[in-house]
Amino acid sequence: MNEISIAARDVILAFVDDEHLMGQQHTEWIGVAPFLEEDLAFASIGQDELGHAAMLLEALVGTDDADIDALAFYREASQWRSCALVEVTLPEWSDTLLRHWLYDAAEELRWQLFQGSSVQLLADISVRALSEERFHRQHGDALLDVLLRVDDAHDRIMASLHKVLPLALTMFDGAPSEADALVEGVISGSLISLLGDWQQRVDHRFGPVDWDQIVRPVLSQRKERHDDFAPLLARMLEVLDLDRTVTW
Amino acid sequence: MVLCMSRSWSSIDDFEAFLNNGGIVESDDSMPDEYRLAVFRFIELHANSEQMGGLTERDWIPRTPGLRHKMAVIAKTQDEFGHAHLLYMVAADMRIKTRREMVEDLYAGKSRFHNVFHYRAKTWGHQVAIAFLVDAAALASQQAVFKNCSYGPYRRILKRIISEEGFHMRLGEDRMMRIAQGTEMQREMFQQAIDDWWWPALQLFGPDSKPNDMLLRWHIKSERNEVLRDRWVQKFVPMLQSYGFTIPDPGLRFDDDEDRWVAGPIDWAPLKKTFANVGPDSARRISEASAHWEESAWVRQALAANKTVNELVQA
Repeated sequence: MNEISIAARDVILAFVDDEHLMGQQHTEWIGVAPFLEEDLAFASIGQDELGHAAMLLEALVGTDDADIDALAFYREASQWRSCALVEVTLPEWSDTLLRHWLYDAAEELRWQLFQGSSVQLLADISVRALSEERFHRQHGDALLDVLLRVDDAHDRIMASLHKVLPLALTMFDGAPSEADALVEGVISGSLISLLGDWQQRVDHRFGPVDWDQIVRPVLSQRKERHDDFAPLLARMLEVLDLDRTVTW
Repeated sequence: MVLCMSRSWSSIDDFEAFLNNGGIVESDDSMPDEYRLAVFRFIELHANSEQMGGLTERDWIPRTPGLRHKMAVIAKTQDEFGHAHLLYMVAADMRIKTRREMVEDLYAGKSRFHNVFHYRAKTWGHQVAIAFLVDAAALASQQAVFKNCSYGPYRRILKRIISEEGFHMRLGEDRMMRIAQGTEMQREMFQQAIDDWWWPALQLFGPDSKPNDMLLRWHIKSERNEVLRDRWVQKFVPMLQSYGFTIPDPGLRFDDDEDRWVAGPIDWAPLKKTFANVGPDSARRISEASAHWEESAWVRQALAANKTVNELVQA
């Protein structure tokens, strides 16, 4: 295993936490999606995202489940590096579908930053993740292809787009040591460098967005948490916190 | 080119002779109406139970302790919904109800699902007990149907379902062993789960089969309820006791002469309540599922306007 620098750890954790919480949010829809095939799709995509988080965590702490879980779950809120998009609770299906599409459109670009990484393991993981992400994007697109053609559904989707877009911009907030990770060759570009490509994807999918009208989030180098984070983490820790020393 | 011919029988006696000779019925056969309805109801009950079982388990997915542990639990629940998906298609092929009608009847409280899913999983221990005790009971029933099932499409689907349920049972067993070897808190939690789920799991097999049980006569089931129930008792009583857990059956005894465990009297009243959808958690389970279904109606309506996806959703 390559030695992981502090900067590399920082950018990896930002991706770990986004993947972990995105997978977690998807699990909330298993069984209550609009129809059975969607229950299955969200179960599958949720597993993939959690699996990506687990693979990245292995790069940091090795393969032992206890070590992976300690880093995945047992950090103070200020030590998490997730973005607001994956922390927020979205009880509406249209908002969830939009988050799924917007996240995956960026996720593909984010994995590409790891493709030539100086940390070989990250480059290897990105190959597998990118092959899975292709299906995630196809899933979101297939639904939107149909829903955007029907008036009522179109209106709901577009309302959700404008609701979720400000949150989605938090994905491009870089971790504190991102600049160092760039110099070390861990990543081939910053998160903010992906924004233009991602905006083009959004415009192509939904029609031109007046980006100047989208409220820009306050960026904190991923050090601040959305209000929904605390109850989300409490739910994830409900069993673990019965006794953090035991095996389940 | 293969030419498929629909078969028919001149009388119920001819049909039963066909079944007794090991005949397998296919969906395009002109089967007797009584048989078609009996098979359909059986598969619909199975499909509904996979669906409601998935809903029971989903409540605990977000709280699963551990990242890769959570992935395993999601995979299990995905299997359960996948089974429902397959079974609804097999049932819909019998042309009595569409999949949508079956799901809407389920969420309207008009159709049945297995008794165990009228109970709520209240702790992580309950979640493990479901994977361990309930999945084992369901698997035993499914294996008995698969062994000699006369309806071909169901039998073929059961082969896959049984294979996956075997993994679920092993997952439950593995989790049970971790808890059994854990702390006093963990063991108390699981003992409580056994106390809460032992009887519902045992009642899953149903009361003793009637002498004229048509499901047995038509080779849909191959073993009597009491035989399956007893086999489950013989397996799980010694296994749980070997890990130091107790069985919440004051009438349970070991018959030295017969060299087997004998369960105490079974109170069937709780099972009968679930038949009427008035079990301990029936109202919440059905109303929540119904509310989610209603809230997402706009998605299905939009998709219904599209021919290619429409077939998938409407079937």
